[in-house]
Amino acid sequence: MKNFTARQGVLAFVVLALVFLPLLSSDTFVLRVVTEAVMWVGLAIAFDVIAGYTGYLNFGHGAFFGLGAYTVGILMMKAELPFAVALPAGGAVAALAALIAGFPTLRLKGAYFAIATWALSRAIQQLALNMDITGGPDGMRLDAFLNPQFFYYLMLGAVGGTFLVLWYLLERAPFGLKLKAIREDEEGAKALGLNPTMLKMQSFILSAIPTGILGGIYAYWITFIDPSSTLGDLVSDQAVVMVVFGGMGTLFGPAIGALLIFAFKTVFWAYLSKFQLLYLIILGALIAVSVVFMPNGLWGTMLKRRNTVRREPEAP
Amino acid sequence: MHEPFLKVDAVTKCFGGLTAVNNVSFQVQKGEIVGLLGPNGAGKTTLFNVISGYYAPTHGSITFSGRDISGMPPYKLAALGIGRTFQVVKPFAGLTVLENVLIAAFLRYPKRADAERHAWNILDKTGLTDRANVTAAGLTLAGRKRLEIGKALALEPTFLLLDEVVAGLNPTEADKTVELIMQLKNEGMTILIVEHIMRVIMNISDRLVVLNFGEKIAEGTPAEVSRNPLVIEAYLGEAAA
Ligand SMILES: Nc1ncnc2c1ncn2[C@@H]1O[C@H](COP(=O)(O)OP(=O)(O)O)[C@@H](O)[C@H]1O
Ligand SMILES: [Mg+2]
Repeated sequence: MKNFTARQGVLAFVVLALVFLPLLSSDTFVLRVVTEAVMWVGLAIAFDVIAGYTGYLNFGHGAFFGLGAYTVGILMMKAELPFAVALPAGGAVAALAALIAGFPTLRLKGAYFAIATWALSRAIQQLALNMDITGGPDGMRLDAFLNPQFFYYLMLGAVGGTFLVLWYLLERAPFGLKLKAIREDEEGAKALGLNPTMLKMQSFILSAIPTGILGGIYAYWITFIDPSSTLGDLVSDQAVVMVVFGGMGTLFGPAIGALLIFAFKTVFWAYLSKFQLLYLIILGALIAVSVVFMPNGLWGTMLKRRNTVRREPEAP
Repeated sequence: MHEPFLKVDAVTKCFGGLTAVNNVSFQVQKGEIVGLLGPNGAGKTTLFNVISGYYAPTHGSITFSGRDISGMPPYKLAALGIGRTFQVVKPFAGLTVLENVLIAAFLRYPKRADAERHAWNILDKTGLTDRANVTAAGLTLAGRKRLEIGKALALEPTFLLLDEVVAGLNPTEADKTVELIMQLKNEGMTILIVEHIMRVIMNISDRLVVLNFGEKIAEGTPAEVSRNPLVIEAYLGEAAA
C-alpha cells in the first residue's frame, strides 16, 4: 500500500511539472525537447498495444505516423481545411490503414507479421515518394503556426488522453486481459469465447489512431514533412527500442523507456554530435544487454522484484 | 421422443489422406457422463476438436441442443454452452492463475468485479485458491490440468468435454479430480470424457463409446463394453504391439 501511494505521488508530481513547465521555463529549446519527448511517450505506448499486449511486433508502426502527418499536410495545404478538421482525419486515415492492412497481416505470426508490416510501410513510403499530391521526395511544407506553447499543450493533451484511454481499456476493462490471452495462446483463447480475429483488429486500430493523430500534430508543429522523416524506419525502430527497453505489455514501461532513450539521444546529440556512430553503438549494446538481462524490460524487472518481496507474506 | 442433447451424426474427419475419424455416430443425453475410449491415435482428440469447433467435419454433422453446430467456430460454441479442456494443456503461461480463469469468466460476467467474484469461486472449486497469484507457468502438471478444468468451468458450460484430465496425475491428485467430476455430475452437468485409466473411466461413465482407427467399434454400459470381444481385441492388440 505504501508503495502504491509513493507511486501515485511521483505520478502527480510529474503531471503537475509537465502542466506548469511553460511557466517555469521560457527557453524554447527546452519546450521543444519536452514536446518531442512527450510525443515519443505517446508513440511508444500506442505501439505497445499491438506489440506488447497482443504479441504482434508491428515493424510498420511508423506508417501510421506518416499517414497521419500527410493527411494533415494534404488536407490543410491542398484542401485548405482547418487543422481542427484535418487532425481527426489523420487519426481516421491511420485507423482505416490498420483495418485494410490488418486483414492479410494479422493472420501471420511472429517474424512473418513483422516482415509483412515492414514491407507494407515501405510500400507506403514509395507511394509518398512517387505521388504529386505528397510532393514526392521533396516533401511538403505547411503554413507555420509559431506558437510553441500551443503545440506543447496539444501534444501533452493528446498523449495524456491516449494514456488514460489505454490505461482504462488495457488495465481496467476486460479488453487488456483478452489481448494478453491472444498473445499467450490464440488457439486456447478461442475455447474461452474469444474471437481472435476481432480482438487483434480492434487492437491494431487502437494502436493506429493515436499514432496517426500524433503524426498530424507533428506535421503542423514541425511544418515540414517528407517521406524519409515521417515514413522512414525511424519511428518504428525507435518505438521497438523504447518498448523493449522499458518493458512490453505495460504502459509505464514504454513511457519510461521512451523518456530515457529520448533523453539519452538528446544529450548525446547536444554534446557529442561528432560521435554519431558511437550513439548507435551504445544504443545497440544497451538494447542487447537489456534483452539478455532484463527480458521484461526495465519496468517489468522492477515490478517483478517488488512482487517477489511482497508476495511471501500473502501466501496462506 | 425428445431431441438428444448432443448428436454426432456420421462424422468423418480427414487430414489429407488420413481418415482420423470415420463415420462415427452416437448421442449424449442431458445429465449423462459418456466416456470416449480407444487406443492412442484412435481419433478421440480429433473428435473433440470437431465437436468443439476447432475442425469442421469433412462429412456428417453435429447437433447440440437441437441446433446444427457443424463448422461453427469455437468461441461461438463456448457462448452456446460448450466448454472443453485440452489434452496438451493450454495455459496462458505468462498470466497468473486468477487471470487465466478471469479471462474465461468474462464470457458470462462482462463486469470485472462480477467476473473476479466468479473466478474466485471457480478457483475454490478446483482447489487452486492458494495458487491464484502464481503465473500459470509455475504450476505443476496436476495444477495445470486442474486449471484447464477451471477455465472450462468458468464459462458456465452446460456441456463439458474433458480430454485426459486425469492422465499423468499421481493417485491422490487423480482421486481429487475424479471427485470434482462426480460433483459436477451431481450438479447436473453433461460430460463427454476421454480417459485411458480404466479404473476411472469405468467408474464414472454412464455409457462408453469405443473408437479404434477412427471407427466406432462398440457402445454401451461399462459392463457391456468390457465384455465386447472387439474392444478386448483392440486393447490386447495394443498391449501386444
Ligand atoms: N492436425 C492433424 N493433422 C494431421 N493428422 C492429425 C492431426 N491431428 C491428429 N492427427 C492424426 O489423427 C489420428 C488420430 O489422432 P488423435 O485424434 O489425436 O487420437 P487420440 O486422441 O485418440 O489419441 C492420429 O493418426 C494422428 O496422427
Ligand atoms: Mg488424444
